[in-house]
Amino acid sequence: MERFKTLRKEKAESYIDYSMIFIILFLLAFGLVMLYSTSSYEANLDFGDSAYYFRHQLIPTLIGLGGMVLLSYFPYRFFKNLALVIYVGALAFLFALIPFGKVINGAKRWLNIAGFSVQPAEICKIAAIIFSATIIAKLQKNLMTAKGLAVTLVPTFFMAILVYKITDNLSSGVIILGIVGLMLFISTPNYKPYIIIAVSGLGACAAIVWFISSSAGNPEMGFRSERILAWLDPNAHASGKGFQTLQALYAIGSGGIFGKGLGESMQKMGFIPEAQNDMIFSIICEELGLFGAIAVMLMFLILIWRLMIIANNAPDMFGALLVIGVMAHISIQVILNIAVVTNTLPNTGITLPFISYGGSAVIMQLAEIGIALNVARNIGRAD
Amino acid sequence: MKQSRSGKKQKFTIGMKKKLVVLFTLVLLAFVGLGVRLILITKNNGEEYEKQVLSQQQYDSTSLPFRRGEILDANNTILAYSEKVYNVVLDAKLLLRDDKYLEPTIKALVTHFDLDAGEIRSYLKDHPSSQYYVLAKKLPYDQISAFQELITPGSDSYDANIQGIWFESGYVRKYPNGSMACDVIGFTSSDNTGMYGLEEYYNDTLSGTMGREYGYLNEDSSLERTTIPATDGDNIVTTIDGNLQSIVEKHLKEFNDTYKNNARTGNGANNVGCIMMDIHTGDVLAMASYPNFDLNNPRDPQALIGMPAVDEKGNKVKGESIYDSGVYITEEMIENFSDEELYQNYNALWKNFCIADTYEPGSVAKPFTVATGLESGSITGNEVYNCTGVLEVGGWPIHCHNTYGDGYVSVERGIEISCNVAMMYIAQSIGNGTFTKFQKDFGFGLKTNIDLAGEARTEGLTYNAADMTSSDLATNSFGQGFNVDMIEMITGFCSLINGGYYYEPHVVKKIVSSSGATIKNIEPRVLRQTVSASTSEKIIQYCNQVVAGAEGTGKTARPAGYMIGGKTGTAQTLPRKNQQYVVSFMGYAPADNPQIAIYVVVDRPNTDYQPDAKYATRIVRAVLTEALPYLNYPMTEPLSDKEQQELMELRDQMVTTANIEEAAVEGQEGQEGQEGEAAEGEEGTEENQEAAAEEEQPAMDGPRSSIWETFERDPSTGYYIDPNTGAMIIPETGTVIGGDDLPDFDGDGPGSEGNADNTAEGNP
Repeated sequence: MERFKTLRKEKAESYIDYSMIFIILFLLAFGLVMLYSTSSYEANLDFGDSAYYFRHQLIPTLIGLGGMVLLSYFPYRFFKNLALVIYVGALAFLFALIPFGKVINGAKRWLNIAGFSVQPAEICKIAAIIFSATIIAKLQKNLMTAKGLAVTLVPTFFMAILVYKITDNLSSGVIILGIVGLMLFISTPNYKPYIIIAVSGLGACAAIVWFISSSAGNPEMGFRSERILAWLDPNAHASGKGFQTLQALYAIGSGGIFGKGLGESMQKMGFIPEAQNDMIFSIICEELGLFGAIAVMLMFLILIWRLMIIANNAPDMFGALLVIGVMAHISIQVILNIAVVTNTLPNTGITLPFISYGGSAVIMQLAEIGIALNVARNIGRAD
Repeated sequence: MKQSRSGKKQKFTIGMKKKLVVLFTLVLLAFVGLGVRLILITKNNGEEYEKQVLSQQQYDSTSLPFRRGEILDANNTILAYSEKVYNVVLDAKLLLRDDKYLEPTIKALVTHFDLDAGEIRSYLKDHPSSQYYVLAKKLPYDQISAFQELITPGSDSYDANIQGIWFESGYVRKYPNGSMACDVIGFTSSDNTGMYGLEEYYNDTLSGTMGREYGYLNEDSSLERTTIPATDGDNIVTTIDGNLQSIVEKHLKEFNDTYKNNARTGNGANNVGCIMMDIHTGDVLAMASYPNFDLNNPRDPQALIGMPAVDEKGNKVKGESIYDSGVYITEEMIENFSDEELYQNYNALWKNFCIADTYEPGSVAKPFTVATGLESGSITGNEVYNCTGVLEVGGWPIHCHNTYGDGYVSVERGIEISCNVAMMYIAQSIGNGTFTKFQKDFGFGLKTNIDLAGEARTEGLTYNAADMTSSDLATNSFGQGFNVDMIEMITGFCSLINGGYYYEPHVVKKIVSSSGATIKNIEPRVLRQTVSASTSEKIIQYCNQVVAGAEGTGKTARPAGYMIGGKTGTAQTLPRKNQQYVVSFMGYAPADNPQIAIYVVVDRPNTDYQPDAKYATRIVRAVLTEALPYLNYPMTEPLSDKEQQELMELRDQMVTTANIEEAAVEGQEGQEGQEGEAAEGEEGTEENQEAAAEEEQPAMDGPRSSIWETFERDPSTGYYIDPNTGAMIIPETGTVIGGDDLPDFDGDGPGSEGNADNTAEGNP
């Protein structure tokens, strides 16, 4: 017994997912390099400091790495007890936006706390993962009952709708729903309802798209419908909503197989607005070509694969669900971001994890990885 | 224990693991799909998009303006310079990034640039994505410096909330002295191209090279950006002496003020021109004409008022009768002018009368005739001719201005009293061939190549020996029948009195780079020897008599305290008998050792009786009275009481002027009072001068045997009246008013062909 204990302990202490850590560090370093390359021209014009965005991203990245290391030692099971607190706390941040929110680019998405700009929507995503994982794990087999579903879905919908209404950020709300939906998909045995939901969802989207495209030109339609029109025909909206998308396509197309070389992008010189945010992938394509772009996508794929392995080997349901939430979050953002950049989907404003500019996002994403690492650390531990 | 654990702890089931694999597969499929999409975009649209990207780049980019060189006078006073100015440019897109920028920026704009906040707001509302809109144009640096501070990070008053405003620099040409030397300097059009004068002639020198900020694609098709800084233009230092120029312009203006709207509505004369030149170098010391214009605002229609209107060819619009010297522009006419007409008249205003207008010189050509005679050996200078008042040449009776005859006239007296008959005799002994050859030597019918834009082409305005009839030769001898311009005359005249050296006239003596290094010195250039030193001495001797001699026609040109020499001219214009004259005086100072030459031409003075060289000699006298002391020539002549008084008044006038400036500081009222006095003083001086001129005459005329002086004098005008004809006779010369010396030739040779404007008839 004594021997077993020591053996177990040794094994538990030693399991650290180095390949995932390597991928994270690589993505962060690569992201910073690309961020500098992408933003230096505009930063120099706007702020007289070509490293402006780089410096503003470096600090949150370091903070996030610190948080990741801390969380990798923080026993994930405690999140079960903290779930409600985290959920309510996230909502509090969200509500704080209404009186204290800072308006940038016409949207109220940032809170200014002690000199840092914090994006409550990013906090909500991790809160939704923890809260849903807790509820699903608690409900167990009751999940499939109407009450169980209601208990799981109502708080999630509530949060998603709040995110959309308060921050005017539909994509963040959709991501939250998507994460929880995928977590539910994994934790319930059947496929049918999900296939029905997916098909009917796609049908609804197609109907909306058809409706918008047939009523094009109606001035009462909001900016979202204009985005959809721009998506259908970016050339026709080249000077309006389609501009960013079209310029991103130009960037991708002009990169070729091996790209123009690091730092050689022309499109970043004022043609792709705010390229360091959601359009950074197009600059990666332009500078590093198909080769670089696919390499980045492979990195994300390996990261997702590693998360899947951790979830599969998680010591308990809750740990698995946490990792699945993280995996779902990263998968959704990467896929949607690249889909937007390639004009596969309409422009939504979803950032590329670890690479796009955004302090709150990178801190929260690293926190999620920290939680996943802690789950991995507990692989094989019985208790 | 094991059981309780498994009961408590929910395991990740096989079904879930399966589902996770399904999810991962879906993600993998999505990635593959997106990867395929990327490849398709690159493959299908790669080339097209690459071209798009390249075509969006701005290779030509921006040009950086250069600073046009300065124009300086001989004392390095700035006559023209370029000032850096700034356009205030609004970048609406940048400004509207955040609401908090809007109010501070508009407030700062309104307080600093006197802009209308409402207009800016409505522009921002209508064009929220505009990135280039000029709010204010051509502001000097001191007007933008305060705002510049606001938008410069690091300065004390930096305000980070002021956004979307930047300055675009350029240059604007400034002429600190307004209209001074306008004809010589010329001006620039908005695109930095010189028009007229030095600005046009030296345009290449004054222009620098535009700098350029541009991008280009290197061999890897990546964009390189390069800045080539602008090279500023070179400065030119002129021979114009700003002080002499001001003196000349002051007196031309004074002449105009005296005679404007006198006999007709309009300026004091169609044109008044004056050139002063250093006879030993060909340096133009002063060159001016009236009407003038403000170089800072050359398109001011007010400057046109009083000028004779011109047609599309630049010829004067003819009046109803031949006695009208033109149709004079009034305010009403300007209102009715079409754009073309306005522009025609501006061109007439802008051109430099001193080099661009041709006319028959009249008697100022007589020294040239005598010099030709002496130099060719046709005369010795000791000849005496008998003037009966008329000489018949080639079947035409050609009169002397003194139709009663001058009696026996030596060569010297021929110049002194300006006898046409003596000149005709001299010309006959010279002959066609020699006469025309010497005309060319003196530069008549040739460009002087002065370094100013717009010099008239006078080729064909003089006779060829073969075409010249005897009557042409006779009229040419006293300056009628061929056309010249002012610069030709004075350049040739300088050679007569400086020992025979014909210098190329020039206005620029030095070209200096923008950093101050001398690039080129323009040295005096002798083109040829026109006459010998001994001939030159004789001409000086004769011309001195014009001013000093008892019967001299140019006595009124002598400034107080100095002796000068010269020759008067009163030229008749075409058509003959139109009573329109060009009067002039061409002289030099000091008389015994000439240094400077001066030439004043008054084209059709605005008086009832035009053929009176005094209109020109008075200007010469007024100019030299101030100019010679300024040039530090010692006074050689005793001053009469009257002259003393006159000089005192002149000095007082200068002091009064200074007082005005002082008083201006003290207060408005004081200034007005003083100004009134000053104006009165000036008038007084004018009257005195005229009185002096009139009174001098009889006193010095004593021994003169002129028939007309026995006639009665008209008390109001001072002219003698011929008892037989009732004609009025001008006292100094005996010219009959309204009478003409020249027969009315039909088709008067080159004169009429060349310039219908002016052609004339031999006179004093």
